[in-house]
Amino acid sequence: MPSRRRTLLKVIILGDSGVGKTSLMNQYVNKKFSNQYKATIGADFLTKEVEFEDRLFTLQIWDTAGQERFQSLGVAFYRGADCCVLVYDVNVQKSFDDLNNWREEFLIQASPSDPENFPFVVLGNKVDVDGGNSRVVSEKKARAWCASKGNIPYFETSAKEGINVEEAFQVIAKNALKSGEEEEIYLPDTIDVGSTSQQRASGCDC
Amino acid sequence: MKGGFSAPGDYIYFKSQVPLHKIPIGTKQWRYYDFGPKVVPPLICIPGTAGTADVYYKQIMALSMKGYRVISIDIPRVWNSQDWVQSFEKFLDVIDVHHIHLYGTSLGGFLALLFAQHRPRRVKSLVLSNAFLETKYFAAAMPWAPVVNWTPSFLLKRYVLTGIPSGPHEPFIADSVDFVVAQVETLSREDLASRLTLTSDAALVGPLMLSDSLITIVDTNDKCAIPQQLKDEVSERFPGARRAYIKSGGDFPFLSRPDEVNLHLKLHLRRVGVEAREDLVPGIPKAGDDGGSGSGAGGFSEPKDDREDAPNEESNPESPSNNEGQPPLDTQNNDSHNPDNQPLLLEAIFEKKEVVLATCAWHFMLQFFVIYYQLPVSLLILYINNKRHPHIRLFV
Repeated sequence: MPSRRRTLLKVIILGDSGVGKTSLMNQYVNKKFSNQYKATIGADFLTKEVEFEDRLFTLQIWDTAGQERFQSLGVAFYRGADCCVLVYDVNVQKSFDDLNNWREEFLIQASPSDPENFPFVVLGNKVDVDGGNSRVVSEKKARAWCASKGNIPYFETSAKEGINVEEAFQVIAKNALKSGEEEEIYLPDTIDVGSTSQQRASGCDC
Repeated sequence: MKGGFSAPGDYIYFKSQVPLHKIPIGTKQWRYYDFGPKVVPPLICIPGTAGTADVYYKQIMALSMKGYRVISIDIPRVWNSQDWVQSFEKFLDVIDVHHIHLYGTSLGGFLALLFAQHRPRRVKSLVLSNAFLETKYFAAAMPWAPVVNWTPSFLLKRYVLTGIPSGPHEPFIADSVDFVVAQVETLSREDLASRLTLTSDAALVGPLMLSDSLITIVDTNDKCAIPQQLKDEVSERFPGARRAYIKSGGDFPFLSRPDEVNLHLKLHLRRVGVEAREDLVPGIPKAGDDGGSGSGAGGFSEPKDDREDAPNEESNPESPSNNEGQPPLDTQNNDSHNPDNQPLLLEAIFEKKEVVLATCAWHFMLQFFVIYYQLPVSLLILYINNKRHPHIRLFV
């Protein structure tokens, strides 16, 4: 068996409480949906192996608590994120209004090297509810917001029915991969400068 | 490293806050930290060859603050896997903990797996970093294993340190390597010899009774001394285990990526049902040390029958001597930690007698000594220094 390291792609899902972050993740990874609502405590993650352009990747998807603004877990799980998924509920105006806060919060906490071009994906979830009759945020409005933030890809999803979930995560993985690879190319340059003396100090270059 | 390493500030703080315990159990000396509320089932950290209990100080500090109990140990001087399982069990009996969660890294991961295999009742869950399932790869990389007990300390240290991948590291990884190198300096020849013997002694991890869902694998996804192939074997053996990969961090993610490792440890403990007692945190020094035995570990009711699962070990747990498969050792008989001092000693003796001895006899003796002692050592030095196994390097 070839022992090749698989590239790890880290994805963070953010959004207001109850918009369906956990359900989206479960639908994508486990193809399961539960109607029962259980608030996520702190954060949790699932992994999925994905194949893309004939290469295998490990997708590590972090589901975060919408309620407590992750103070309890600190910023560790933001570290090295390759893509951030912002989720809102198309039936709840506030969850859409808060997208901006979530985006800013992420950029502050994760402090990516190139915040302007960091890949986000926006998901408008729960489009199945009430046949779309209780919807308050129009697709047009959502797309306009995404366009204003640097053409963020946008999907309308239903974790319950599995609508668009697979498609959305395909794009998420693709964008994560793009940012992950740029990062890999970028890093060696930054490493070399200061670390040769460090290395000597460790005394193991014998 | 000589003189260049200064202990990080948080380590100095750790040393000032957390007492180091040293206790003899049977013939073994145990060195460990035990911190956090005693009523919480402990997470026990087992380091690799190049580690000591101290390498987990960041976990001890962070998790005990959150209300978890963390114990971290030095691997005691054991010489084979049976010896390890029995010694560790005695240790647990003495410190009065019954059900445990283990976090093992590299050799420590292997030892954690062995213990989980042989004492399934005690091990409630496992977290593994850069672990492996069998020793044959390391044994193959160390054909001089039979003479490890006669190898001087500086050579053993050198061998252990060459296992740490060289090359430019980013600063946090470089710091973690520095810290570990400083820890290796504190190890005695016998410690190193026993660990190297453990890794070259033929042993493999058999089937576990533990469900995969109670295992978390926290591997780093970058360069590491444990060959990827061995890490893959662990993943394949436990397909249902949680894969908590960290993008980078090298061999010592618990030092170089403490936030992420601590996060995964917390998530793991939460998943397997360990409840942190944050309410007990401020009173740790007072509430902790001696009151724990009576009320401690509430809810554990079957401490006695833990041993019955041992499949193939009928040794009396009380007997301190277990010499069955031990290599012929003379490690306990004197306190000299530096057998490499012997040439000097011999020379001193010779010098005294020099007046009496005929010069030619003296030369003869000297040559005898050179051939019988120094030559093998020099050859060993040459061998270790020039050895470049491209794929199997010593783990750390």
